[in-house]
Amino acid sequence: MAGFKEAQGDLRLESVTKTFGDFVAVDDIDLHVPRGSFFALLGPSGCGKTTTLRMIAGLEQPTSGRVLIGDTDLTGSRPYERPVNTVFQSYALFPHLTIRDNVAFGPKRRKAADAATLAADALELVQMTQFAGRKPAQLSGGQQQRVALARALVNHPEVLLLDEPLGALDLKLRREMQVELKRIQTEVGLTFIHVTHDQEEAMTMADTVAVMNKGTIEQLGAPADLYDLPRTRFVANFLGQANTGVGAIEGTDGDHLVADVLGTKVRINKARSQVHDGNVLFGVRPEKVQVSRTKPDGVGNDVKGVVRDVSFLGVATSYLVDMPSGTTWSCYEQNLDVDPIDLRPGDEVWLTWNPGHAFGVAAEDQ
Amino acid sequence: MTPIPRRTRRTLSPPAAALTAAASGGLSRRALLGTGAAASAGLALSACAPPAPPSGGPSSLKLPTDVSDTEKILKWSNWTAYLDMNGKETKSPTLTAFMEQTGIDVSYSEDIEDNDSYYAKVAPQLRAGQSIDRDIFTLTDWMATRVIRDQLCQPLELIQMPNVVGNLLQPLKDASFDPGRAHSITWQSGFAGIGYNRDKVGRELKSLDDLWTDDLKGRIVVLSEFRDTAALVMQSQGVDIESDWGRAEFENAVGFIEQKIDEGYIRKVKGNSYLEDLTSGNAVAGITWSGDIFVLAYDTQDPSWTFTIPESGGTLWSDNMMVPITSTRRRNAQRLMDYYYDPAVAAQVAAWVNYVCPVDGAQAEMEKIDPDLAESPWIFPTAEFIADNNIQQFRVLNSDEDIEYSDMWSSNVMGN
Amino acid sequence: MTALAHAAVDPGGVDPAPPAPEAAKRSWTAYLLLLPGVLWLGVFFLLPLVQLAAVSLQSRYPGFAGYYYRDLNFANYASALTDYAPHFARSFLYAGLATLLAFALAYPLAYAMAFKAGKWRNLMMICVIAPFFTSFILRTFAWSQILADEGWVVGGLELLHLLPGGQIINTPVAVVAGLTYNFLPFMVLPIYASLERADPRVIEAGGDLYANGFTTFRTVTLPMSMPGVLAGTLLTFIPAAGDFVNMELLGPQQGKMVGNVINDQFLAIPGGYPVAAALSFTLMAAILVMVFLYVRRFGTEELV
Repeated sequence: MAGFKEAQGDLRLESVTKTFGDFVAVDDIDLHVPRGSFFALLGPSGCGKTTTLRMIAGLEQPTSGRVLIGDTDLTGSRPYERPVNTVFQSYALFPHLTIRDNVAFGPKRRKAADAATLAADALELVQMTQFAGRKPAQLSGGQQQRVALARALVNHPEVLLLDEPLGALDLKLRREMQVELKRIQTEVGLTFIHVTHDQEEAMTMADTVAVMNKGTIEQLGAPADLYDLPRTRFVANFLGQANTGVGAIEGTDGDHLVADVLGTKVRINKARSQVHDGNVLFGVRPEKVQVSRTKPDGVGNDVKGVVRDVSFLGVATSYLVDMPSGTTWSCYEQNLDVDPIDLRPGDEVWLTWNPGHAFGVAAEDQ
Repeated sequence: MTPIPRRTRRTLSPPAAALTAAASGGLSRRALLGTGAAASAGLALSACAPPAPPSGGPSSLKLPTDVSDTEKILKWSNWTAYLDMNGKETKSPTLTAFMEQTGIDVSYSEDIEDNDSYYAKVAPQLRAGQSIDRDIFTLTDWMATRVIRDQLCQPLELIQMPNVVGNLLQPLKDASFDPGRAHSITWQSGFAGIGYNRDKVGRELKSLDDLWTDDLKGRIVVLSEFRDTAALVMQSQGVDIESDWGRAEFENAVGFIEQKIDEGYIRKVKGNSYLEDLTSGNAVAGITWSGDIFVLAYDTQDPSWTFTIPESGGTLWSDNMMVPITSTRRRNAQRLMDYYYDPAVAAQVAAWVNYVCPVDGAQAEMEKIDPDLAESPWIFPTAEFIADNNIQQFRVLNSDEDIEYSDMWSSNVMGN
Repeated sequence: MTALAHAAVDPGGVDPAPPAPEAAKRSWTAYLLLLPGVLWLGVFFLLPLVQLAAVSLQSRYPGFAGYYYRDLNFANYASALTDYAPHFARSFLYAGLATLLAFALAYPLAYAMAFKAGKWRNLMMICVIAPFFTSFILRTFAWSQILADEGWVVGGLELLHLLPGGQIINTPVAVVAGLTYNFLPFMVLPIYASLERADPRVIEAGGDLYANGFTTFRTVTLPMSMPGVLAGTLLTFIPAAGDFVNMELLGPQQGKMVGNVINDQFLAIPGGYPVAAALSFTLMAAILVMVFLYVRRFGTEELV
């Protein structure tokens, strides 16, 4: 096929910028996605993640910068010249073609002699064989989703792009498909780039997550690392819940910084704080905080508060506790005991946490 | 955007005895007897069956009650540009004066596009006894023949119209299709002949043969009305169109015209919009009506537009005012007809429309308006003028001829 | 109530399949909703059609122009099919050419409006629809002025030596051009609607799946707009085949279309009603057959 680039290897974006008029959608990002990994681009709508995806697909061209797979520069090439396929947000199946023909579309364009066999295999992989003769409109959302996946996978692209692929599904189906997608990715071993605004989805499936905000990548890493140690205020708030407060760093205590957050002294491990003087945003995850009626002994930080609300969630109980500083913290307690902690709104409680779990990030976004 | 002028006028019926046979004469009635059974059977089968043809005879005629005394209203259907108009062409001075004099509110509609389509529209309603919301319509003699024969108009009370009785030109008083003018009153008359632009043609056109030359190929338009176009061709072929000619003569003329179309001399055969072809320059000459060419010369301020009667002769026709059979305001209609037979009023109209004025005494009145027009043979033709130029009237066709010739004309000239 | 609705519907000739048990409850509502449409069709479509069929078989009263009697005169149809076969052929040829031309003009226009126009889209839409605000006849008449021998179009083409005949109006070319012009919006709008409705991502998906621009158009965009193309071609061809105005105002004297013959038979020939009705019926039947074959060949499940 004329112009087709048989690139292999890692996907790299080098100083890629995309502007639409005055609006900078993607601002000078660098990205390195190892071959065969499941990579998620996570961020709120308008953060530039979809634009990034479209530049990889070739549906948009970067204003500046380069897109490479292995050593092959794909910048400027057309979508049909790239070894990249996309699973579109609304599936974008061809409404006039049967499921079989939808899936065989790519192989046929590439003049594959065994397009029909390839399509059948791909439908087998997503367990849609029995629907091969139908039209897309006759399928449910989840089924269309599988077909869209098969239509992309059948081409064995070097990179498979998924644009909010589960956004239109209900919660239960979404969970199923998350597992399914992960299974398939493991099975075929392709590079998956998954764009989503759902942090849980990103964390469930991806090996590596890049959190995007305002056209830049705020932080990139394994889901557990991002959660445990966010490096910016945005990541701290976007990825899971965090009890946070802004305070001034007053000094050090061994390995720890000491900060005053609205009258409460808190400690943060130096290695876990991005700032070492001035103002800091202190944070600790809800499940890292213990709730007790009496002041506990130990080395942890503690503070006294008043219960505002108790929600029993089955595996855990969630508490909202009003702090003396005026803020409200949330805490999860696993229901390990036979007898649950019998707390009611208005009860005074002590909150304790291990300072090693706390983190500090710059108080203001850069 | 200018509206499409749609004027079709048709030739005056003959003074011939042919009419008697055509109307409800023995021949037709005998033919009718033969099909009468089929007609009744059809009626029995369905309510949609066509109406039975008129049985004939004034005894069967039932006139609606006249309410003219209480309803001071009159509705008049006429052709475009066929009445005097003020400078802005919004009102007619003569009509305004009539309304002031009589207190009758006249609604004037230029809604007659051509005889056939107007008749096709109103005849079924009139036959069913329904109102067509008109008190006067103005149709050409041959169509008036049909309307009177089918009893679709009311008899007029000439005693109520002293101007008409006194001033209607003598030759028109005994029109063959309406002896004694008991049903119709002439509105205007006119000629069909050759109209052309002398500058663009570059020479005088004197006969029909002058039209069929290479320099005029494709620049000639002729009237779709066969009672004008075929008539002029027949005259040029030496046929006396008032006499009892037959199918062969008509076929000859149709064949000749068809040939001129095939050879590319005649560009279009048009009833309604031939003037547009002259205006736009698609055509520079053709078989046309007299008044139109004078109006064209005036409107374009181009005096080289010329109307002439070919050496072999031309036709003369009239349009006639009639009262639809279902109108309840015949008296109002008669007052209007009588009003336009006041010579002073008639002269005013003639000065504007430039057609032949049917009113005795209008020529003297015209002297006061425009002495040149008073001398115009196109408005006030003398008997010598008619005779010298071999201006004739197409003979009345009986119903079968009407159908046969219309068909022949339509399929060979119009719709081929 | 149910019985009433049934009784009222049945004479209209609608014979719906017996409702499934679970649908029984809804069925009378469906009939009731159908009722106005059925009545409308019955009164304003079926009755006139029956009347037209009856007229097409009538015979003339000899000696009485414009009078007919009920008959089974199939000679009217024989005349329609033999005498006027060339007119039918011409009508379908010109309408077919106009449909092809309109398609060739409308598709890029609709495509540009749907995908490329941006802020100009509404303006383009107005331009497409604007001619509807003036009368069809006036617009055609305006063309007869524009294309006149001494008009600027002919003058310009003659200057460029592109028009050896020196004449556009009163030629078949002018007729086809007029038909194309007059029915163009009927082609543009359905195509535009189907293109505009198409998900742009589906078209992107074509590119993503290795189809270049032309292949994507051929295999994705065009098939997706087929319902619009089908509707547009029908909406153009059907009225164009029956049209007489363009021929009347722009056409030559010889070589009329069937619409002109019908018009003449109705209006200009005393006693022409039966043949005109037979011609109308034949035209209607011919168009129906053509549309049926066409839809069977190119039809999709849904029409727009």
